[in-house]
Amino acid sequence: MRRRVLAAGAAIAGGALALPAAASAHGLVGKQDLPIPRWLFAWGAAMVLVLSFVALATLWPRPRMQSLRERVVWRVPRVLDVLCGAVGVAVFAVVVYAGLAGSQSAQENLAPTFVYVVFWVGIPFASVVFGDVFRAFNPWRAIARAAAWIAGRVARGAMPEPLEYPRRLGRWPAAAGILGFAWLELVYVNRDDPSLLAVLGIAYAAVQLVGMSLYGIDPWLRNADPFGVWFGTIARIAPLRWRDGALALRRPLEGLPSLDPRPGTTALVCVAIGTTAFDGFSQGSVWNDLAPKLQQRFIDVGLSAQGALELAFTIGLIGGVLLVTAIYRLGIAGMRTVGEGRDARELTRLFAHTLVPIAVAYVVAHYFSLVAYQGQALAYLVSDPLGDGSDLFGTASSTIDYGWIGATGIWYVQVGALVAGHVAALVLAHDRALATYRDPRAATRSQYWMLTVMVGFTSLGLWLLSASAQ
Amino acid sequence: MTVPFAHFGHWWTSILYLAPVAVVVIWLALQSWRERRRDRTRGE
Repeated sequence: MRRRVLAAGAAIAGGALALPAAASAHGLVGKQDLPIPRWLFAWGAAMVLVLSFVALATLWPRPRMQSLRERVVWRVPRVLDVLCGAVGVAVFAVVVYAGLAGSQSAQENLAPTFVYVVFWVGIPFASVVFGDVFRAFNPWRAIARAAAWIAGRVARGAMPEPLEYPRRLGRWPAAAGILGFAWLELVYVNRDDPSLLAVLGIAYAAVQLVGMSLYGIDPWLRNADPFGVWFGTIARIAPLRWRDGALALRRPLEGLPSLDPRPGTTALVCVAIGTTAFDGFSQGSVWNDLAPKLQQRFIDVGLSAQGALELAFTIGLIGGVLLVTAIYRLGIAGMRTVGEGRDARELTRLFAHTLVPIAVAYVVAHYFSLVAYQGQALAYLVSDPLGDGSDLFGTASSTIDYGWIGATGIWYVQVGALVAGHVAALVLAHDRALATYRDPRAATRSQYWMLTVMVGFTSLGLWLLSASAQ
Repeated sequence: MTVPFAHFGHWWTSILYLAPVAVVVIWLALQSWRERRRDRTRGE
């Protein structure tokens, strides 16, 4: 069993890394001026992880993070919740209107930059620091709550009970939704079409509203709203928790061990990591060589050029998710060999939360330059959301400053994010192992495998980033 | 077979990203083997 696991690990790691370097990082500007070769950063990162592992094994003998300790610091006024919801609905309406009525140029219209930069990347960045901000501004939640409030008043409490959300379904709808959005962003050729984004936004809102009306607002939001579930999962890293009309303080990462490992949770995190990894890989020379050949194969069997290219990218996207899942499963298979009769499915769920900081590290490393540069476009887009020449706030003539951070600075942020994310994952895994295994030595031994997984993910992340300046 | 080696200069650095994984795997395998041997010795 152990030999099989080792052989599979070598094959997966080899397949992942023995390819020429791939480019990553959106909108990188300038040339890096690094004191050492980039591959040496991978060695340094691996050393940091090994030292962290040794320190945890010797200095962290008991589980400390399995029970949530938080302190309420502020009772949030109810009106603030309503106000944030109203702001969320208004922003959603403006973006949809801009997409439908504005210029159909992706550079001039607010919708593409808002969806791909502010919403998809900006909210995760904010969630890591401020907690679940999306829940407060979630327009679909606000509309559903308003509708429920009005219906309750009209029906005078005679509203039917919602259906019970199927437990077996768990977070699978969220995982599928995030995969679908990644497909739109990374595969679909017309991804920047403002009117398409607006129509998809309306369709998404309709699905959410129907789901909430059938299964209840909170059960639906906890399981099946892809963005709500994903942003809420990331927000567990934050030291702030906004729930039940109160703001509570906790230690960073402490919200993650209480993540309910219901079905689909591991898939959701693997989808997030795998699609981000593919985004980096797809900008590199390997994929740029391979994709046209795959495309030609599919054209030869009768697909159109666009359809063939999208099918090739779809295969790559799913391959990225499967690779990440396989690396994690390998770590779990290794942990099973430690003993105590632990089931692979049980271990997979117990340690799923440890992947969340890795997913965030990948997001920060991969999209930091996008936020740093393209995020500035928001200054002129909010003044001219339709791209029709208006100047609502006097900022329509502002430009993007590419000089505030250079390529070297971005590289250090990326490396720092990857190392910090993987050390955080090691801490979480070590603490969960101490709580799971009766024998502390077995717990440490089980983490040999997770250390290998973490070093593998770090090396893969740095390898994906490495060619961005080549 | 000559093609990959002809382009060796383009991809050899990728191996260096794989190396930390290999080193950690070897170190942990050795560590695990030593611990198991020690456990067996204690059991006897």
